[in-house]
Order: sequence, then structure tokens, then C-alpha cells
Amino acid sequence: MSTWNLRYAPASLAAVFALGLPAFAPDFMLFEFSIAVSYGIAILGLNLLLGVTGQICLAQGALFGVGAYTTAILNVSFGWDPVATLPFAAIVAGLIGVVVGLPALRLQGLQLAIITFGVASAFPQLLLKMDTLTGGVTGLATDQPMAPKWFPGSQEVWLYGLSLICAAISIVVVTRLLRGDTGRMLRALRDNPVIAEALGVNLTKGRLAAFAVSSALAGLGGGLFCILNGFISPQSFLPMKSIDILIGGIVGGITSIAGAFIGAVFVVFVPGFTTDIDPALGGLIYGLCLIAMMMVARQGIAGLRIEGLQKAVLGIFRIKGLSRIPGSVPGQLGGE
Amino acid sequence: MAVHLQAAGSGGPVLSVENVDVRFGGIHALKGVSLNVNAGEICGLIGPNGAGKTTLFNSITRLSAVTAGSIRLCGRAIEAVPARQIIRLGIARTFQNLGIYGAMTVLENVMLGAHHLAGGRFVGAMLRPGRARHRESETEQRCREILNDLNLSGVADEAAGSLPYATQKRMEIARALASRPTILLLDEPAGGLTHGEVAAFGALVSRVRDDHGVTIVLIEHHMGLVMSLCDRIEVFHLGRNLASGTPAEVKANPAVIDAYLGRTR
Repeated sequence: MSTWNLRYAPASLAAVFALGLPAFAPDFMLFEFSIAVSYGIAILGLNLLLGVTGQICLAQGALFGVGAYTTAILNVSFGWDPVATLPFAAIVAGLIGVVVGLPALRLQGLQLAIITFGVASAFPQLLLKMDTLTGGVTGLATDQPMAPKWFPGSQEVWLYGLSLICAAISIVVVTRLLRGDTGRMLRALRDNPVIAEALGVNLTKGRLAAFAVSSALAGLGGGLFCILNGFISPQSFLPMKSIDILIGGIVGGITSIAGAFIGAVFVVFVPGFTTDIDPALGGLIYGLCLIAMMMVARQGIAGLRIEGLQKAVLGIFRIKGLSRIPGSVPGQLGGE
Repeated sequence: MAVHLQAAGSGGPVLSVENVDVRFGGIHALKGVSLNVNAGEICGLIGPNGAGKTTLFNSITRLSAVTAGSIRLCGRAIEAVPARQIIRLGIARTFQNLGIYGAMTVLENVMLGAHHLAGGRFVGAMLRPGRARHRESETEQRCREILNDLNLSGVADEAAGSLPYATQKRMEIARALASRPTILLLDEPAGGLTHGEVAAFGALVSRVRDDHGVTIVLIEHHMGLVMSLCDRIEVFHLGRNLASGTPAEVKANPAVIDAYLGRTR
């Protein structure tokens, strides 16, 4: 049983940190953490897609935007409660994600990267063109779900709690998919599609299912982002957002669930920190940070932490059988 | 869901390949090849390299498209069935250069063999985890029994890529058995085995045939193994059938000696 405890130690630490945060973090900090959680959900989707099934999607930021606009439009035009729109944000983004994923049935790797990035590039312009629905450049301002009177904490704590619930649901969905037959099937079609097919794996279904779930998570994250921010405009979903999400995924650890949220915290906070160090050279320092990250932690922060922790603990207790992290080379592009 | 066709009642061959042609661009890999395999048989395919033995396996399992001719499994034409359906119809295979997932454990590899029986239920996995887990534990138990049977239980939780070649080959057979096949296609299963291992391997193949009630077709270059193990041998040469018969008949056939076996002096 000790190995079981050890295996879940990093995730438990992250959970304790996330739950304990409101006790010592100021409200504005909590707001930023909530934003990071909303990105983390989108990154979690990308980790499932890229880390587990080896398909790249550079439209994750656009799908994030689809979720955000679904929430905003349902709230502004149809008067829905913002929280009630979240499942629909996930479903709409999931359906659009399947369409974005259709080329993946024929193309993988770099070609797929360019196709999906094309979607990301077209998205802000599309929002401007559909201005009757999206409000064009002026964007949409949404209601925020107010903390009920019995709730002792501040509005920020309430929204932070909402973010954590969304994150928990996403994590449950992804863990359920990754264990058992579906997880094996997804890894099998990444590592060797020909043999997977000979074993009866339906490549089309597997690839599209991964796209659907990944996009639905991006949509949920986007809907949450819209609620947290209270205002969205096409400026929030520029193509660079997709790259930020990819960076978060890789820096956090592309095959790790905890890594998705660690990566999200990285992309939300580190650019601000580097600008604090020197306002003129912030971008340069951030760039150097990214380069350094990949030299120090190729598996991402989560991989580094788990390996280090395991080495340290295994060294003391000499427990075997934990040295292998499931999944093959993370961060590689494409299947074939 | 799994369609297991039994040929025992019908009396006809389990697998029947008739006049199959396979072309890759300008290369005519198979030229009117035929093969009949009866239920419960161990049938050996031999022939020089490039004779088209693996191509025949690939066309049976639909990894290569057939240009002409027909392939029937228990009387049902399968030459137009999608590749992923083949295992569901009861044809399982191993690969000449191994088709294993090195990063997965042995158990996971073997459980992938059972994927077609109840796998790929994404919505079920997300919404009904209890049921998915129940199915998973049933599959796991069955696969562990197969591993036990093939003396692989000791390495069940090791990464498949870290194992010796011979063990990986055996694991591939375990994975094929996990799919509950009617017919098992083994592509050079004894390749890379040492002399002592080959004898033990022969015994294993006959035991698998008897215990699991499967029909076996194997491609093999190890003549000692083929001659002692197979009920019938089919010889291929340059993409055509050259000869067919019992091991003794084939060994005595002058055409086979010229093309493949060679003269002792």
C-alpha cells in the first residue's frame, strides 16, 4: 500500500495547496489563481490530446474562446445563469473540436499543427465578422455568479471555489478515460497506429474522441474564464493564446494531470514576474526562462518533481517498481 | 459482438485462400496463391525470403490490399473487411519484427489483445466507471491466466520493451490468445531463439493449440521445428505455391529441395 500512497503524493500535495490557498493568499492573487485554473482545464485537454494520443492541436486557444463566447452569449442574449451555461460551453466546443479534428484522420504531426493553427488565426477575425452575436470589438460583459449570503468568504473565494469544482470534474473525466481500456487504446494508437488497428482499435473513433474531450475541456475552461473575467473580447483569444496553452502543457509536463495546472500557473504568473524584474526586458527574461526550463526539466515540472521525489524516497526506503512513468516519450509531435 | 465462426460443423477449411494476387506498384508479390487450413491443424509456411509468406499474412489480416482472388474464413469472404474487424472475426497474428508496445507493461500489451471484446467505450468509461472497472478486472484476470499459462506471470508488470526478444515473442502470442482467436497466424515465432529454446517453443505451440482449440498457421525458417511441429506444410517460391503436403512429402519433393532446402552434398 505504501507505493500507492507514494504514487498519489504529488497530486495530494497539489490538492492540499489548492484547497489551502484561500487561507493565505490575498483576493487579487486568488483571482489570478482562478484564471490559472481555467487555463489549466484547457491545458489538461491538450495533455490528453498531445501527451496521450500524440495529436497536436494549436487551436486550443480558439476552442477556449468558443467556450467563453458560448457562456457569454447564453448569458447576455438569453439570460441564462452563467454557471448553468458551463456544460453547454463544453458541449459546443467539443462539437467544434471534432470538426477541427477531422483533418487529423489523414494528417498528423507538423501538418496537423499548421491546420489547427490556421483555425486559431482565423478565430478572432471570425468573432469580429459575427458581431451581431459576439458584440464585435466591444466584446461582451457577463454577469458574475454572486456568493450567497451564508458564504463567509469574499466573492473571489467563491469564484475560486467554482474554478476548483470545474477542475475537479475535468480531472475525474480525464482519469476515468486514462485508466483501463480507453487509456490503453489511446496510447496504443499514438505509439503504433498500424498495430493498434490490427488489434481492433478504431483509429477514427479514438482520435476524434480525444479531440472531442480535449476541446470540451478547452470549452469548459473558456466558459469559466468568461465568468471569472466578467468581460471578453476577440483580444482575449488571439492566436498566441493557443501557443501559451501549448507552452503551459509542455512546461508543466505533457503527460501529467497535475502538470497541466502547474503549467497553467507558470504561464499566468511567470510573464508577470519577469516584467516585475525589469519592465523593459520582461519578454527577454521570460524567453530565457522557457529555454532554461526545457534544459532542466525536459519532462516538464511535474515530471521533474515526481522523479526527484521518487528518487529521494526510493533511496531511503528502497521500494522498487515506481521508476517507470507510464507513457512513452512526452512532447513528441504526431503519431506516424 | 465478437463473431466466432466455427468450422467444425461445416467440415470445410477454416481458412481458405484462393488465387490471391497482391501487387505493390510494379512488384507482383503474390501470383495466384492458394492455401487451405483445416480446423485444429498446425500448418507451416516455408520458402526462401521474398517468397511472399509475410505478404500472405498481411493480406489475410487486411494490412495489404488484395488485387485479385478471395480469402474466406469459415466460408465467409473477408478480403474486403476493414483491417480492424479481422481480429473480431477470430484471426489473431504476431508480427515478424514484433508488434509490441515497449512502453506498456506486459499485462497491458496482453490486455490490448482483448480490446475488441469490450473496448473503446468512451462514454461508458466517463459516465459508468464502476462498470468499466468491473469489465477491466475481468479482462485482467483472464489475461493473467494466459500469462500464467505461457510462463510470463513473473514479468506481467514489467515494461515490455525491457524484456529479452524471446520473451517478447511469447508475449505477442499471449496477446493474440487474449483476443479469443479461431485461427492464429505466427510470423517467424522462433526467430532469435537459441537451440534449446526452440524445442521448448515447439512444445508450447502444440500445447496452445490443444488448450485453446485454435488453428495455427506459422511461417518459420527453423526446419527442425517446422518438420516436427506441423501437420502440413505449404511451400512458397517467388510469390507462387511450390508444393504442399506432410513434412515427409515436402522434404522429399525435388522442387522444394532445389528452391529452398538445398542438397546435402
